[in-house]
Amino acid sequence: MMTDARTLAYINMYAVLGAIENLCELDKEASDLVKTKKPVAIGLDVTNGPSATLIFKNGRCRMEQGIKNCDVLLPFSTPEKFNAMVDGSGSALPMKGFTKIGFLLGKFIPLTDKLSKYLRATEEDLKDEKFFEISTKLMFYVITVALSQIGNNDEIGKFSASLIPDGIIDVSIKDCVSATIRVKNGHMVTIKQKPEAFRSQMQFCDIHVARDLFDGKINAIASIGEGLVEMHGLINMIDNVNRILDRVALYLA
Amino acid sequence: MSFPVYKTDKSRELFTRATKVIPSGVYGHLGPAEGQFIPVHKWPVFSEKAKGTYVWDVDGNKYIDYMCAYGPNVLGYGDPDVDAAAMKQLALGNCTTQPAKVMLECAELLVDTVATADWAFFAKNGNDATQGAIMCARAYTHRKKVIMFNGYYHGVSPWCQKIDYPGVLPEDVANNIMLPWNDIPLLEKTIEENKNQIACIIAQPYDHGNFHDNAFPEEGFWPKVREICTKNDIVLIIDDVRAGFRLDLAGSDHYFGFEADLICFCKALANGYNMSAVCGKEFLKGAMSSLAYTGSYWLSAVPFAACIANINKMKELDIPTMFKQKGEKLCNGLVKAGAEHGINLIASGAPALFYLRIANDDSMLLHQEWVAEMVSRGIFISSHHNHFINAALSDKDIKHSIEVAEECFGIVAKNHPEIFG
Repeated sequence: MMTDARTLAYINMYAVLGAIENLCELDKEASDLVKTKKPVAIGLDVTNGPSATLIFKNGRCRMEQGIKNCDVLLPFSTPEKFNAMVDGSGSALPMKGFTKIGFLLGKFIPLTDKLSKYLRATEEDLKDEKFFEISTKLMFYVITVALSQIGNNDEIGKFSASLIPDGIIDVSIKDCVSATIRVKNGHMVTIKQKPEAFRSQMQFCDIHVARDLFDGKINAIASIGEGLVEMHGLINMIDNVNRILDRVALYLA
Repeated sequence: MSFPVYKTDKSRELFTRATKVIPSGVYGHLGPAEGQFIPVHKWPVFSEKAKGTYVWDVDGNKYIDYMCAYGPNVLGYGDPDVDAAAMKQLALGNCTTQPAKVMLECAELLVDTVATADWAFFAKNGNDATQGAIMCARAYTHRKKVIMFNGYYHGVSPWCQKIDYPGVLPEDVANNIMLPWNDIPLLEKTIEENKNQIACIIAQPYDHGNFHDNAFPEEGFWPKVREICTKNDIVLIIDDVRAGFRLDLAGSDHYFGFEADLICFCKALANGYNMSAVCGKEFLKGAMSSLAYTGSYWLSAVPFAACIANINKMKELDIPTMFKQKGEKLCNGLVKAGAEHGINLIASGAPALFYLRIANDDSMLLHQEWVAEMVSRGIFISSHHNHFINAALSDKDIKHSIEVAEECFGIVAKNHPEIFG
């Protein structure tokens, strides 16, 4: 099935680069890398696509929608050019912030390289327990955020989202990590924390099952049957989210 | 009284084995994912035997089965009259080069029984029937588009799935138009906007979809739809695969006071013997004849013999009246039992195909909890789908089901003092 560059740009912005927030929380080296005396804000602006600002402060990172008081601005004239920058086949020239070029080249680029290493992990890398845990958690966040971006932007994803009843969906890896997907009138928002209450829930029984599902090593439907993935509540919410999940794999392949 | 809680270890063991050689172990609506076995360990996956209204699983647990194999069990599993007719035909021949004359006898019986039927076309599954009906409508009208009503389920062919389903192309569903029930002005507007392009309207006789209370169409809806179809040369197809014969032996269109052009049957046709049928009006017989549409087993004789015995017995027992009475008795008892614990159980749809939902929360969590407790005490119901009455269900079974339900409502209420305390 077809994918579109604009939707991929939204995924790359909010799901992939958005995972830098979590990388800085989970990986001390990443956090240390971006520790600066003063906060630094990097703006990413895609014409006919998403725009966001990554704010680095005290070794932590926060992503905000839109361009707000950024020190460095990276403009992209098309979603395709932005996507090329994210997958490493293209580059970006800052429009402003030449004084922060050192941060960009010396810290931000190594940070994104680190993120790529976790998100495109090799079997060898995954033998390290800590690496495995961070990598899987980051994949979880990328996937759950990508769900909303596809539901809001991709043509077929929008159809699926339009069939999700309003409410909160809890997507979790048991005793590990959770995300809230809030749906209203077919619009989806992912919040990277556990909801206080939910209308439906999809829970992977442990991090290894989640990883195997993410990597396509085990079958999702069989896993439900075996109790490795549990569903609760209004199942037509999850059913339609799972339709979008199929497209996450397509975009992130 | 406390009812024993079943264990399903053997089922679980077999399911794990099954996942190795069968995609997803048990696929489709009978499987734990689509069947929504929540939580899975409370549910049986494989059955050992079935008789009457009961099923025994591979762990030896006995269930009163309100899913009736999702509909085909209408007289009771292993009905002696239907089975005897089937076995007699089996001895004569089943899948043969020339169809047996029992096929003709079956068609004649359907034409005599179903109000709108001038002819009968046979296949195997409900999906074969709905697919055949759509092809017939397109062959007759030479038009592409199909109108369906929200919450529809007309089978598993790509055209009747949705654009976001695995394996379905946008082109497969490009000619589908989905409309809400009961909105006649919108239906008229849509037909006007697609003038001479609509081949057919296909709909279940009422909204018996999943995840929501089932509802009959508003008074006057069907006669008006009939009138619009006639005026615009649109073929009106009733998908009676699920409800057929349970509301009215002459067809659910007859029950709602109108005549379909084509009507599709499957589940209640032959008490579990595998066949489906499209019945239709004379003017569509030529179009149906023109289709390149057949299958290796479609004209096998045994199901026809079973169908004849089944229909005759359904007539003898006046199944629609019986099912209404049994369904009402059960639903009234369940609702009352729930109310005694402060639980608002809503029973909706036709009593013969009752749909249940606990309405104290909007998440189905309480309902799923109650359903799981019921299943693990031998009352096989579903948390998301309508249920089915069968003729073998006795008053004693209904009484027992209500007693188990009462205990399970008590458990749910006790588990949730935040709601029921």
